[in-house]
Amino acid sequence: MQQQLAQLVATAQQEALAVASRAELEAFKARVVGPNGSLTAVMKGMATLSKEERPVVGKLINEAKKSVEELLAALLLKVEDAEIAAALGAPWDATLTGPDAPAGSLHPLTRTRERILASFRKLGFTVAEGPEIETEWHCFDALNTPADHPARDMQDTLYLPKSFRSADAPRKGDEALVLRTHTSSVQVRTMLSRKPPFRIVAPGRCFRRDAVDATHSANFHQVEGLWIDRNVTLADLRGVLDFFVKETFGADAEIRLRPSFFPFTEPSFEMDLRSPNLGRLSNRWLEIMGCGLVDPKVLELCGLDPNEFSGLAFGLGLERIAMLVHGIDDIRHFYNNDLRFLRQFA
Amino acid sequence: MKVSFQALSRHVDLSGVTPERLAEVLPMLGLEVESVHSFGLAPLPLVVVGEIVSFEKHPSADRLSVCRVDVGDGQPRQIVCGAKNFKAGDRVPVALPGTVMPGGFEIKVSKLRDVDSAGMMCSSEELGLGKGEDGLLILTPQKPALGTPLNKLFGAPDTVLEISVTPNRGDCLGLRGVARDVAAALDLPLKPLTVKTAAGLAAAPSAQDAFGFVRSTSEFCPYYTLRTLKNVKVGPSPDWLRRDLEAAGLRPINNVVDITNWVLLELGQPLHAFDAAKVSGGIEARPAREGEELVLLDGKKVKLETGICVIADAQRPLVVAGVMGGAESGVTNATTTVLLEAAWFRPGEIRRVARRLGVSTDSSHRFARDVDPAGVELASRLATDLLIELAGAEVVGPAVVVGQPPRADATIALPAGYVAAKLGTAVADADVTKAFQRLGFTVSPTASGFSVLVPSFRSDVTRPIDLVEEFIRIHGTDKVPAGRPVAPLPGDEDTRSSAFTRDVAGRLAGAGFTECCHYTLRDAAEVARTLGDAAAPQLALENPLTADQTHVRASLVPGLAAALALNVSVHADPRGLFEVGVVFRPQADGTVREFLAVAFAAPAESLVRSWKSREAFDVLRAKRLLSDVATLAGVTSARLSFGVATGGLWQAGHASSLVDRGRSADGACGVLDLRWTRSLGLKGSVVAGEFLLPRSAFAEALRIPRFEAFSSFPPATRDVAVIVPAATAAGEVLNRVQQAAAKAAGKEFALESVNCFDVFSGPGLPEGTRSVAFEVRWRHAARTLTDEEANRAMAAVIAALEKGAGWTIRR
Repeated sequence: MQQQLAQLVATAQQEALAVASRAELEAFKARVVGPNGSLTAVMKGMATLSKEERPVVGKLINEAKKSVEELLAALLLKVEDAEIAAALGAPWDATLTGPDAPAGSLHPLTRTRERILASFRKLGFTVAEGPEIETEWHCFDALNTPADHPARDMQDTLYLPKSFRSADAPRKGDEALVLRTHTSSVQVRTMLSRKPPFRIVAPGRCFRRDAVDATHSANFHQVEGLWIDRNVTLADLRGVLDFFVKETFGADAEIRLRPSFFPFTEPSFEMDLRSPNLGRLSNRWLEIMGCGLVDPKVLELCGLDPNEFSGLAFGLGLERIAMLVHGIDDIRHFYNNDLRFLRQFA
Repeated sequence: MKVSFQALSRHVDLSGVTPERLAEVLPMLGLEVESVHSFGLAPLPLVVVGEIVSFEKHPSADRLSVCRVDVGDGQPRQIVCGAKNFKAGDRVPVALPGTVMPGGFEIKVSKLRDVDSAGMMCSSEELGLGKGEDGLLILTPQKPALGTPLNKLFGAPDTVLEISVTPNRGDCLGLRGVARDVAAALDLPLKPLTVKTAAGLAAAPSAQDAFGFVRSTSEFCPYYTLRTLKNVKVGPSPDWLRRDLEAAGLRPINNVVDITNWVLLELGQPLHAFDAAKVSGGIEARPAREGEELVLLDGKKVKLETGICVIADAQRPLVVAGVMGGAESGVTNATTTVLLEAAWFRPGEIRRVARRLGVSTDSSHRFARDVDPAGVELASRLATDLLIELAGAEVVGPAVVVGQPPRADATIALPAGYVAAKLGTAVADADVTKAFQRLGFTVSPTASGFSVLVPSFRSDVTRPIDLVEEFIRIHGTDKVPAGRPVAPLPGDEDTRSSAFTRDVAGRLAGAGFTECCHYTLRDAAEVARTLGDAAAPQLALENPLTADQTHVRASLVPGLAAALALNVSVHADPRGLFEVGVVFRPQADGTVREFLAVAFAAPAESLVRSWKSREAFDVLRAKRLLSDVATLAGVTSARLSFGVATGGLWQAGHASSLVDRGRSADGACGVLDLRWTRSLGLKGSVVAGEFLLPRSAFAEALRIPRFEAFSSFPPATRDVAVIVPAATAAGEVLNRVQQAAAKAAGKEFALESVNCFDVFSGPGLPEGTRSVAFEVRWRHAARTLTDEEANRAMAAVIAALEKGAGWTIRR
């Protein structure tokens, strides 16, 4: 009996070598362990054995059965491997360049804008927007810059013709429409439409009648901020700007507030930045943005009581910040849209 | 404004201050330093006076001379020279070997075209003295001794700081004003200003005056003074005066004009000198009359705008008041009697007139920034001192005045604690008082705080908040601590348009598109291509700067197409590009509306060769992407209706327009006009899309979705294929099927979806038709639909399509 079983297992192992498909596996399985299989036949023979022989033979049968089951399991793996290989085809060469377009990228101005907005959001500023074509009142008069004010010489403005009517910025009377020279007009609209306290940042496109060169652009982008509440102070301004600069330029960047003049703030400052990490511009004071406390006259013009409320405001040029952060030397790169430039910021 | 360190030192003792230190102090006062440069002769110990004893032509160079030059060391030396403007016996500066010239060039014993040369004779420019005459600086008239170091002939070098003065600080357009700020910042005393001519003004001309009357009838001239100076000897100014003018960037003319300019630089008060011989009768500040003309100092003849303030004599206008003098009445070498004007003109009007005339003079620049009325008479007296001293003038009496100074010193009530409250940090009253006193303000305590008397030279300081700025300028901004961050305000959110701008950029970049940024200002042709010739002029600017930037943009697509072309031409392998930005569209009501636009464009077939080909970027993918963009903006695909895009940027038959009338959304997608893109240099077709939404659409309240219960029973599904004329839009067929299927469901159950799964034309179908097949799905809320119910509903749909629409059902 022992010999018969050994012979049976050896035969099965021999036959297994020829099994290559699932069908052959099933046929082989039937020949050995099926109802009429060779092993099944031996097992049926158990019934004829004596009580004493049964445990001995039973043990031998179990051993043979285990060998056959292991053989079947190995065969199943082999057959599955063959099936998977057939389904997947030739192996993949991971070193071949993919045919699909690489990931796209955001424009460096967008990246810079979002980074700046994110840092101000942490301080509770939320984003406000307004029209690019503005009335002179929103762009100048409400900001304490009447028509004969010398501050209007500071910038040259692009005007729309008298016939132009804007759905987004209706005129009061016969004032002119302009392409906004700063996003301060959004501050004006916010003060007129909301009740303090509020903290807003206004990113957006602005325009000057400037010839295009390495540092001037017919349009450019600003991010301006405004915080109106009771008792907003110069210390608050310094706190906000300090936070922003450390977020944007790193913890070792420092700021100074240099007195300056804007018609819409009093006192007014230019904020200078000094950082050891700005390449050839490292370790010197760089003018970054204008800022100050909102002039009481502006609050009044925008319908807020200067005795009750005060505010701080600041405005920076997105291009300038992006140029500093990335070491870009010519503002025109932002608008040329050469992919060799744009892809550097992916 | 150019500030000479030496000139500034006349007003404040700067002996303990270096120019470098001054350049650090001024910016922190609000006076930005734009540049610092040296003026005058730098220390050059080896540049000495030499005499050209003799010279001859260089043997092998026509343009060079070989000179023998004596520098007083007994041994005339040979120097080769390229200049032509000298003769034998002339004395000139000689840079001896070892000299490092201001440009950094070192002089050595050398050979010039094989001839020995032991030094260099110098021009004015080479010595850093500015561009003088061509050739050598000839010193012969001064007869300096041979060998004298040149530094002995010239004064000590000066430093000139070019500062930019903000429009509120008219007082700093004179050295005295800058000195006041510097003195305050450094806590130094301001030196007193000595003027010899007696103070005092007369109400009417005396018999000795060279004018019969002086009056003002112009509202723009509330205060005018005029004095007579006789026996004036017009001639060149002395060196110190010329030097001061040149340091400030002015050209010396003659002593009278130079004196008025010098006083302007000194005090910031413009003066004007008339030749009395050319003034008939008297002087009047009056409105220009219709048709009057004037030849200005610069030779330009201008028609005077009626009503502007002119200074006239009894017959004609002589000067555009405060802006520019006339050519005829000015001082010349023949002048003997001078009328000296010192006045105050309304700043806004001066600014307007100067702009109108297209000029900005030293005078108009200062008057437009509100000169100190109290300085008018002072300036007249200071100029008189100098005219007496330098031009031998004789004064006939005090200046004659008309009108009153328009403003005086201002008193500001500063509440106690106000400064500290604005700074957000404690400050001592004594510090506040001290800062104001250093600025020349007078501070006196009152019951509720302080009373601060601000002299009239500071027209910009009128309110308590202005005093805060003055305090912080002197006290130092670095002493204000950074306030602590505060918590966000509850309920505040970014505007939805800005959130959309951010999200859509991320979505498109994630889909493989690269973001671009183009100028808003475009040329007329581009806008006409986008909107048509009729509508384009509505987007034109009033005062464009250049011919290629005359209109605001109507679409982002042309920029993207141009960017694709650019990147093809530079071999940068463009794939998809996109842009997010504002565009402008004329509306039916005649207004122009701003839209937030999102556009993308990509070559239909990849321009990049690859070992494995990929699906082309076709109109269907563009449509899908556009729907995604719309959904992000809050416009669901269900709201969008697609039509046929006509002309303009788009290729007829291969592009679609889309609208959501409810929100005024607009857009298009498809193939860009092939002739156009080919003309840009793009060979294959370009597929693009653009979605536009007005800002107002983002103002709508966000809809919070409400839960609706759904059926737990399976749907019944039936297919129907409709044969329609080929020109019938699939969307129209879909609409019909939807309507019929919804109607067939009645109230008992509901139509769930209609999905187009096949479009076919060809064998088996009549010529000129196509088959569009739909899967219709119904569902009952409370039970499984029976086959009979579904069949009955389908029969109703088929009947509606056949009888209602007249289409055939494919069986």
